[in-house]
Amino acid sequence: MLLISAGILTVGAILYTLFVRAKDLPEPVPPSPVAHLEERRARIYEGLRDLQFEYRVGKLSDADYQQTKLSLQRELAAVMAEIDRILGVKPAPKPAVAPQPAAAPPKQSAAYVCPHCGAEFAQALKFCGECGKPMTGETGA
Amino acid sequence: MENLGALAILLAFCLSLYSVVGSLIGKWKKNLFLTISAQRAVYSIWFLLTAASSLLVYALMTGDFRMAYVAAHSNHAMPALYKFAAWWGGQEGSLLFWSWLLATYSAIVVFTNRSKFREMMPYVVSILMATQCFFLILNAFVVSPFQVLAVGRGITEVPDGNGLNPLLQYWSMAIHPPMLYLGYVGFIVPFAFAMGSLITRQPGDSWIHTTRRWTLVTWLFQSCGILVGAGWAYAVLGWGGYWGWDPVENASLLPWITATAFLHSVMMQEKKGMMKVWNMVLISATFFLCIFGTFLTRSGVVQSVHAFAQSPIGKYFVVYLTVGIAATAYLILDRLDYLKSESRLESVVSREASFLFNNLILLASCFAVLWGTMFPVISEAVTGEQVSVDAPFYNRINVPIGLFLIFLTGVGPLIAWRRSSLESLKRAFMWPAIGGFALMVALFAAGVRHFYALMSFGLCLFVAWTIVSEFWKGANAIRAKSGGNLFGAMFELTHRNTRRYGGYVVHMGMVFMFIGFTGAAFNKNLITETELGGVLHIGKYELKVSDLRDGENQNYAWNHAVVEVRSGGKFLGSLEPERRFYKSSGQSTSEVAIRRRLNEDLYLNYAGVNENQKPVIQAYIFPLVSWIWIGFATLIFGTAICLVPSKIRLQYARTEVVGMVGKHAPAER
Amino acid sequence: MLRLRGSLLLLALAALSLAQTGMTLATPEIRRVGDKLACLCGSCKNSVGDCPMIMCHYSNPAREKIASMQKAGFSDQAIIDEFVKKEGIRALVAPPAEGFSLVGWLMPFIAIGIGLVMIWMFLRRFRKPAAVPEIDPGDFDRYRDRIDKDLAKLD
Repeated sequence: MLLISAGILTVGAILYTLFVRAKDLPEPVPPSPVAHLEERRARIYEGLRDLQFEYRVGKLSDADYQQTKLSLQRELAAVMAEIDRILGVKPAPKPAVAPQPAAAPPKQSAAYVCPHCGAEFAQALKFCGECGKPMTGETGA
Repeated sequence: MENLGALAILLAFCLSLYSVVGSLIGKWKKNLFLTISAQRAVYSIWFLLTAASSLLVYALMTGDFRMAYVAAHSNHAMPALYKFAAWWGGQEGSLLFWSWLLATYSAIVVFTNRSKFREMMPYVVSILMATQCFFLILNAFVVSPFQVLAVGRGITEVPDGNGLNPLLQYWSMAIHPPMLYLGYVGFIVPFAFAMGSLITRQPGDSWIHTTRRWTLVTWLFQSCGILVGAGWAYAVLGWGGYWGWDPVENASLLPWITATAFLHSVMMQEKKGMMKVWNMVLISATFFLCIFGTFLTRSGVVQSVHAFAQSPIGKYFVVYLTVGIAATAYLILDRLDYLKSESRLESVVSREASFLFNNLILLASCFAVLWGTMFPVISEAVTGEQVSVDAPFYNRINVPIGLFLIFLTGVGPLIAWRRSSLESLKRAFMWPAIGGFALMVALFAAGVRHFYALMSFGLCLFVAWTIVSEFWKGANAIRAKSGGNLFGAMFELTHRNTRRYGGYVVHMGMVFMFIGFTGAAFNKNLITETELGGVLHIGKYELKVSDLRDGENQNYAWNHAVVEVRSGGKFLGSLEPERRFYKSSGQSTSEVAIRRRLNEDLYLNYAGVNENQKPVIQAYIFPLVSWIWIGFATLIFGTAICLVPSKIRLQYARTEVVGMVGKHAPAER
Repeated sequence: MLRLRGSLLLLALAALSLAQTGMTLATPEIRRVGDKLACLCGSCKNSVGDCPMIMCHYSNPAREKIASMQKAGFSDQAIIDEFVKKEGIRALVAPPAEGFSLVGWLMPFIAIGIGLVMIWMFLRRFRKPAAVPEIDPGDFDRYRDRIDKDLAKLD
């Protein structure tokens, strides 16, 4: 009894380990040349979202918000450009002069509605918590 | 049966060796069959070790006293739970348990990554299996759990075993060691992936994303292990301490501290691609401290109550540690170019900079603990005289460090990434700081003169305030946008970014624990003999010993005192501290009785009767201790939140952002 | 028979709880000295003054010794010296800040100092020019629009 179970244990373990058939090999996953860049991009998007939220919550000063947002956008643009370069995609066409004219027609002339994207806010903000553009009504950058 | 067990271990050892070599050769020769076969060996090893462990547990359960391990750690009278727990109750069994856990982890790693990381996996497998191989050498050749008594002695069998140490016959002792081992062993997974990606120079930080959950879960196990151990010490050892700076306790704390530092500083790498070298160092240090802790516990290098019997395994650990650390250091130094930082610091007043200080403080406390633990050895080597440091040394150094750490816990999360101007800081900190300061003044006015306690309470309020206001402000911002009630908004808020808000909850748990630790500044104790019907006074309580009883069962004899507790004439209930005498091991233990309340615990220990035939009662008041266990529960809850995937990510994955070529964005899980 | 065995066990229990005279010795005077002496019972890291283990085989005799020496008129320092003479430096809760033991005390602080220097070096090295990724302004504007749109979708 002991000998039999010892034999089964030994033979079983060794056979299972050594006997690999061709169909047991895993399907090769084509490695993506941009996987790590996409990860980076997802992370920066997340950072931008967080930043906007923090600003909306009121934790950041206007200057901090603008500066950090710009540097995040720059980094993101660089990552996207790099992805496009690797994949050989042509960069997006240059946008029209007015970035998003039809996206959001301002509903009221209240100071708390963003003239660019139409987002509404409970309190007055210098910059929109949604699109980040100045809330003053003049078409900024 | 013992032959079968020993055979299984021996086979597992051979297979682990095969797996290390096969994996590497398969990688170098690009032979996929060999690589897969090496991965299969991992499953085989798991199966073999499961078989061996089952045999050992079966022997313990059925009381096969021909085997040395069973005779030493089990007996007939023990309840089944403790018979099972005897698996990790002694040196040999616990090393087998360790091997089994490692095999389990490895099998899970291989299974979950079976079609991923083709470049890196062979190295990951070989690192895991090299460690497995090391432990199996110990299991098979040095401290075999399947040794029979007959070897080298005249006897072949004893009628009954010694049983598990009575102090360990307590429910949480059945949980504490496995938890701690799950923590100790688990850190090898992030370490193996870190090394794998370092060896193959993987682009990006995929090792971090892949092992994030591993690290967190392992960290949670480690925390549970430490805190359950503290709870056990508090409730069982009979002197009300939950932490004694014992070398073995320290050994479990060290990797926990570096892992905590790692969990924080890894964010720098994820967000900004900085501190890559440092993160490698931290994860390696964590892993090697785990091994070092095992070494410390088992080799008898330093004196400790917890230490297992002295054994020859010390030198094996020294060899493994030396080789492992040297190889890791070489790898890191050789690949510094791969670990180059991708960006820079924008400002000194930023989250990034606060993480630097967080890391410094954590590492400093880790170093202080390590230094204190090793000081007897070091001083003996240098001066010839063994000088040990005791609790006052650790407290004097770690209390200020801990206070600074809790301060950073409040400050760090409120400083924005990249930069924070004075105005932003003022918005975030003015009210919490005023609140904390006001509490200190109020407590001082109320007569609290203990400097550290004042600081600690003030800082705790400060941190709690910042955390609550984070939730409050965030939830209100969500409500302003999408309506709903406050709880719904908080749920939404947490779900949006589980890591951050789960992290806040963990921080809150730490605040609760610090409140509990601070209570120790106000402990009271009273040790006295009394008589039946005698009344003792401690704090606001009146204790009356109303009865003394005794009896016995199969496992132990007991006698206990019935103590009526009154406060201001009001009857609060009675406590029954007990003293036990375990028959098979001839040891006695005390079962303390604790009246746990949020403000203070009343803790009674019955020491039996003295030479004058009078009962001796030891009474303590431990203020705020319960907050440590509340903090523990909060910590588990917070970590669980961190493990839930954030909602953001999933949405992002579905959005199919422009520029994606027929592929989903990497949704990390 | 069983009863007899039970009472024998209880006797053993009672015997184990002997030697407890030390516990009534927790007077402030004894604590003052005891707080400076380590409990060497081998299983705790407390001082003789506050070791709460009820049958401690080190602290209780130590307290008795302190009490008797105090009665005989020894000064605190003399009592402590007596313990050090018998047990070596390990009889103290913390090694004296002299000789090699001084290194023991200072080392953690030296480590913090080294850490601070490292942070300072790190800050100096990585504070320097803000490494904004090079991207030309035209490209940036193009991508920025895409980023804004994506971001609006994300929230």
